Amino acid sequence: MFLTRSEYDRGVNTFSPEGRLFQVEYAVEAIKLGSTAIGVKTKDGVVLAVEKRVTSQLLEPSSIEKVAEVDEHIGVAMSGLTADARTLIEHARVETQQHRFSYNEPMPVESCTQALCDLALRFGENDDDEESGGMSRPFGVALLIAGWNEAEGGGAVLYQTDPSGTFAKFSAKAIGSGSEGAQTALQEGYRPDLTLAEAEVLALATLKQVMEEKVTASNVDIAKVAPRYHLYTQAEIEAVIERL
Amino acid sequence: MAYQMATPAHSAHGAPRAHPSWSPYDNNGGTCVAVAGQDYCVVAASTRMSTGFSILKRDSSLFLQLSDQLVIVTAGFQADSRTLHKTLQTRYVQYQFAHRRPMSVGAMAQLLGNTLYYKRFFPYYTFNLCAGLDAEGKGAVYTYDAVGSHERVGFSCQGSGKDLIQPVLDNQLKAASPLVLPPEEWMTSLPLAEAVDLVKDAFVSAGERDIYTGDAVEILIITKEGTRKEVIPLKKD
Repeated sequence: MFLTRSEYDRGVNTFSPEGRLFQVEYAVEAIKLGSTAIGVKTKDGVVLAVEKRVTSQLLEPSSIEKVAEVDEHIGVAMSGLTADARTLIEHARVETQQHRFSYNEPMPVESCTQALCDLALRFGENDDDEESGGMSRPFGVALLIAGWNEAEGGGAVLYQTDPSGTFAKFSAKAIGSGSEGAQTALQEGYRPDLTLAEAEVLALATLKQVMEEKVTASNVDIAKVAPRYHLYTQAEIEAVIERL
Repeated sequence: MAYQMATPAHSAHGAPRAHPSWSPYDNNGGTCVAVAGQDYCVVAASTRMSTGFSILKRDSSLFLQLSDQLVIVTAGFQADSRTLHKTLQTRYVQYQFAHRRPMSVGAMAQLLGNTLYYKRFFPYYTFNLCAGLDAEGKGAVYTYDAVGSHERVGFSCQGSGKDLIQPVLDNQLKAASPLVLPPEEWMTSLPLAEAVDLVKDAFVSAGERDIYTGDAVEILIITKEGTRKEVIPLKKD
C-alpha cells in the first residue's frame, strides 16, 4: 500500500518514513501562535511574565488567565491553546495535593513536571472509546513551570514542557509567538546573580520588546514563586513598569 | 415455643453457642525505644519473639533499616510487621525512583501513618516507631498506634515493655508538655553516651519483669556520620 506524505498526518501515533510524528510537530507549531510567556530564575525565586492579548475594548482583562497556581510552591505560565492547559493544571494540582497527603511535604518540582509530561504523552489512547477519557490529539500548549524545592540543594527552579512530553530545566526561558526574539534578549540580559527585582525588570522588558501593544498593567500578568506563589496585583505590575 | 426478642444464649440443640477459637492475630511481644537528641537518634529493640509462654526465636530483629538516616521499628504481631516492612521498603525505593532523592523521616512518618490507617477496619497489629534525623540534622522520633495516629515526640517506647519503660523515660528525659506556653524544648539535651546508657538500663530492667523482653537488645545509634549498631545480651530466662 502506498501512502502519500500527507497521510501520515492522520494517525497521531503513526511514524512517517523519516521517523516523525506530524501531529506532535504540528502541536509544537500551535504554541508559536500563542502569546509570549517568559520565566526568569534567580537564587531568591522565579519570575513569570506573560502577555495577555486584549482583543477588544469590551473584554475584561482580568478574565484572561495565563498564569496559574498549582500549589503554594509551584506556578505555571502557559502559551498556546490555553484551554488545554486547564486539563494539565488540574492534573498537576491533584498530583501535588496527593503528594502532600502521602508524604506531608511539598512535591518536588521536577516530579510535578514529570507528571505533566506523562499526561502529555497519553494522546491516541482508547481511540475507539470516547467515554474512557482518552485523548484524541496531543495538547497544544507549552508550560513554563516555576517552583521552589524545599529540600537541601533545592531553591528556585524553572522548567519548560511542550506537547511532545519532553521537559528541560532553564535559567531563563521564553515560549510563544515572540519566543525567538525574547530568548535572544534573555540570553544577553541574564546573569546568575540577578536579584528578584532585577529579574522582574528583565522579564518585563523582554516581554515589552516582543509585544505589539504598549505594556500596561492590564495586558500583562506577572507572578513569582519566591518561595511561595504570588500573582501580582495591578498596583504591583505598575510599580514594575515604572522601573523599566 | 415462646417468642424470643433476645438472641438465645444457646443454639436450637441446647448446646452452648460456640465462639470462634481461631484469631487472625497473635502477639509476639518485643519492646522498642527511640530517643531523639540534638544531633543523634538512639533506637533500640529487644530480639525475643514469643507466643504465649513459648519462645519462638531469640534473635528476631524488629528493625526495618531504610537508610543510614532512617529506621522503622515494629513490635506486636510478627507476620503483620513483616508485611508492613515489605510494603514500606517497596514504597521507599519507589519514592527514590520517582523523586530522585532519599525519603525524609517526616515523609516516611506520614506514609507509615497512611499505610496503617488504610487498614483501619482490619488493622496491622503492630506498634511502630519511625526514627532518624530530620532535615536540620536533629533527632526525630514519631510514635504510632495500630491504626496510624501519630505524633512527633522527643522519645517513645512501644511494645510489651512499654508500661515498664515509658514512665522511666518520662522521668529521666523530662519532656515538656506541648501545651505549655511559652513553648519549651521537648528534645532531650542529654549527651549521646548517657542516652545510650539510659536505654541499656531500661532494657535490662524491663527484661527482669517482662517475659516478652529478653535474650538481647539491638541498639542503633544514628548520627550524621551514619548508623552504628550495638548488641547487648539480656537474660535468656
